[in-house]
Amino acid sequence: MKQWFTLLNKEFLEMARNYKWIWMPITFILLGVMDPLTTYYLPEILNSVGGLPEGAIFEMPEPSAQEVFIMSLGQYQMIGILIIALSMMATVAGERKSGVAQLILVKPVSYFSYITSKWAAALILIVVSLFLGMLASWYYTGVLFEFIPFGTFMESFGLYSLWLILVLSFVILCSAMFMQPVAAGMVALVTVFISTIIGGSFQHLLEWSPTQLLPYVSERLITEKWPEHVWPATGITLTMTVLFVLLAIYIFKRKELAD
Amino acid sequence: MELFADINWALIAPILFIQVILLVIAVIDLIKIEKTNGPKWVWAIVILMVNIIGPILYFVIGRRNQ
Amino acid sequence: MPLVTVENLEKSFKDLRVIKGLNFQLENGKCVALIGANGAGKTTTLKMLSGLLRPTKGKISFAGEKQGGDHRRLIGYLPQHPVFHDWMTAREFLEYVGKLSGLPTKKAKERSAELLELVGIADAKNRRIGKFSGGMKQRLGIAQAIIHRPKLIMLDEPVSALDPFGRREVLELLEKLKKEATVLFSTHILNDAEEVCESILFLHNGEIIESGTMDEFREKYHQSKIDLVFSQEASSFLKTLSKHQQIDSIQMEGNKASIYTENLKAVKEVILTLAAKENWPLNKYEIGSISLEDVFMKVVQK
Repeated sequence: MKQWFTLLNKEFLEMARNYKWIWMPITFILLGVMDPLTTYYLPEILNSVGGLPEGAIFEMPEPSAQEVFIMSLGQYQMIGILIIALSMMATVAGERKSGVAQLILVKPVSYFSYITSKWAAALILIVVSLFLGMLASWYYTGVLFEFIPFGTFMESFGLYSLWLILVLSFVILCSAMFMQPVAAGMVALVTVFISTIIGGSFQHLLEWSPTQLLPYVSERLITEKWPEHVWPATGITLTMTVLFVLLAIYIFKRKELAD
Repeated sequence: MELFADINWALIAPILFIQVILLVIAVIDLIKIEKTNGPKWVWAIVILMVNIIGPILYFVIGRRNQ
Repeated sequence: MPLVTVENLEKSFKDLRVIKGLNFQLENGKCVALIGANGAGKTTTLKMLSGLLRPTKGKISFAGEKQGGDHRRLIGYLPQHPVFHDWMTAREFLEYVGKLSGLPTKKAKERSAELLELVGIADAKNRRIGKFSGGMKQRLGIAQAIIHRPKLIMLDEPVSALDPFGRREVLELLEKLKKEATVLFSTHILNDAEEVCESILFLHNGEIIESGTMDEFREKYHQSKIDLVFSQEASSFLKTLSKHQQIDSIQMEGNKASIYTENLKAVKEVILTLAAKENWPLNKYEIGSISLEDVFMKVVQK
């Protein structure tokens, strides 16, 4: 256990030294406030640009606070996932490729600790960043449109963070599988995006799929009722997260650390 | 200039503030770092010229670890 | 009593057999040099011993340890080109590795300070490793390998990348390490091996072709060399000599000739008699012993 914290500390120190602890939260906050701000100011911006001919009526139905908040989640779904994959793809692969892993793993370091410490550090960074980002989105949506009940906000944060944790776990699995960080990142991204597209197209067949968590969060926000299949989907998400991490450890252990 | 009067600066100011932090840190890091993916001067331009996205892009793909 | 026993060790990469059945033992508290040309399989052997590579076949057992268990705490390993976390300082890295090896935080700090001093980079302890020179990295590499006082220290070509000055210092350091642990280091420079090690393992094409103590080795390949310099083409005088039984080989180059033999006394007489009888126009006559590099070539060619 002491060794695990030594490894975790190293990860945190590295994240501080390469400024991940600053730019990740800021990026997630900027992503969060973007939609409330642009949606609110869009009509005014268009008016001030003055591109509209005299007499033209600019009609745009004012979106609800819930809709604006869901748009922010859409940002994390695209750019957030992209950032998670690109910034974490090297976490295992990079150390193997450079050769540092050789120095570390000739020491009596358990493979379980090596992988899970990396996973835990990344998870904490991402969950904290996501929380700050969603909180900013919630606040800006509240000020500019209407406040969503804080409890509902916390529920959507809880559920949506489980999805991003699953994405992170898959990125780490890819990072343990491939020697090249770029290969790990690309495989992870392509897989995640294809699964969300498949999940979106076959919603009625894949009701328990982790990719449905975002639609379920949206549904919950708008209807204020829990969708029928949300808990099985949550259970499957958690199970897959654990499986991905265990698989990452297994694969990493079996891989030889040769050049 | 009606637009500027309408804008809620209490909401915009914090965003501008953290954006500046991001920019400053990206510049400091670029100066200190030995190698980047791709030429350093390109990243200098990207960070300074491309609003918000420039520094993020630099941290995500420009920065070389190790 | 042997610390490590290696039996029938083999390693293949795909279809390529790189290591073809090694058998050897490493005695406690001895220094063993693993000698061989580049590509002979030295690094692969060390990596199998350190657990970074899995043997295709064969056994590696440590005295008093369960067969096939985790021996990593007994081992210190320095790869040929050590890579560190460049963003850490030397002190941070040593403390980190020390803690990973099971030292309590306070112990890890003390031991790191002690080792930074020992390998001579204490002045640079708070500098980022990314700014270190190759020689400094090599020293830091040695420090990290011995931080947990391993029983077996393995170093892969620890001196070949260093300048003569750094080389001397590292060899002296190895001399010190020998007192605390068994040292196994690979090199392609025989003189380095000769300087610190009692025993050698000679690796060629994945096989041990020669092993034993340094003295035995020297005895076995003991050869003498007689250098002759004529004032004319050498070959015309040495025709009769080349058929002599005691002479192993003659190398000729213009006016110069080198005669190799294991029986210096007999050959010396033959040459001197011939030279007097035929009145050789000799400018130089010199008896020398051959260098270890020559032995190296000789063993490999066998």
